[in-house]
Amino acid sequence: MTAQSLFYWSLVVTAAGLVLIGLWGVLTRKNILRIALAFTLADTGVNLILVWSGFLPNRSAPIVDASVTSMVDPLPQALVLTSIVIGVAVAALFVVVGVLASRKSGSADVRRMKELRW
Amino acid sequence: MIRTYVGLIIVLALGAIVVSSLSNYSVPLELGSTGHNYTQRGVDDTGSVNLVTAVVVAYRGLDTLGEVVVLFSASTAVVLILTLIPMGANPTPSSSIVSFTAGVLPGAIVLFGIYIISHGHLSPGGGFPGGAVVASAFLLIMLGSNTIPGQSRLLASIESLAGLTFGLLGFWGMMTLGQFLNNKVLPVGSPGKLLSAGIIPLISLVIGAKVASELSGVFASYRKAGGEK
Repeated sequence: MTAQSLFYWSLVVTAAGLVLIGLWGVLTRKNILRIALAFTLADTGVNLILVWSGFLPNRSAPIVDASVTSMVDPLPQALVLTSIVIGVAVAALFVVVGVLASRKSGSADVRRMKELRW
Repeated sequence: MIRTYVGLIIVLALGAIVVSSLSNYSVPLELGSTGHNYTQRGVDDTGSVNLVTAVVVAYRGLDTLGEVVVLFSASTAVVLILTLIPMGANPTPSSSIVSFTAGVLPGAIVLFGIYIISHGHLSPGGGFPGGAVVASAFLLIMLGSNTIPGQSRLLASIESLAGLTFGLLGFWGMMTLGQFLNNKVLPVGSPGKLLSAGIIPLISLVIGAKVASELSGVFASYRKAGGEK
């Protein structure tokens, strides 16, 4: 296994790991701010998978230059730029709703929030 | 206890799906047809050397307008919800390190943010990352001061003006070339120069101003609602 393919596969393993850890955190944590953190972790993992899917071996970044002959796919990177911004917006809203809910129930514990029980 | 087990089972099942789909995955060696088109024609079509910016601002400009709307509605909702929460009496006082840094660094940070915004069509960057950098300077200023930030009419007007300009730039293309957000209402120029790539630098500037003012507004309302009770 060459260094490049090791990097390639370790990237997607990291990304999938982030998604799984984030999902596990969302499902099992009790503090609503930790759930928000786990959610952003999963979000980052999804973004990493998208960027990874546009990667092609032995190509440069999609910025045209006289010395550049071939480049990776710019489309997933543009998509991830959008995804990051939406992720920030959703995370900001998540935290605020969490603060509001914890003020109402007197604690950040989701088990005490009747509306959030599962 | 049952939460942990159910969560673990779901995560393990998803992990098994990921592993099985990755074991059948073959590494692509060539670009797909869309990506191939963008890399072949991107510079001639838009004049932007950075093809990611070409896709975000020129080819998918309408999606970016929608993205700006999402960010706008989220920041509005944050400010709206935080008015329901009783205000903190005083923000937690910052340490002398933070307040000293807040007096020195913001100028350099804003300059760097403007550089990222204005060079979005030449190098990695553009309106969204540059706007976030500028907003981080405002965040640093807010963390360094011990008072609650007041209502800012300037931020609100910059935000509305930027959104309006984005729409008007779109309509300009519709009026002159018959296509919303057409990039070629301004000359494409020679790719690689700062003043080139049609309206991409203008739209980057507008997005940067909008993102910076919106994120600053979100930080300011966080700061207002936080602090000791």
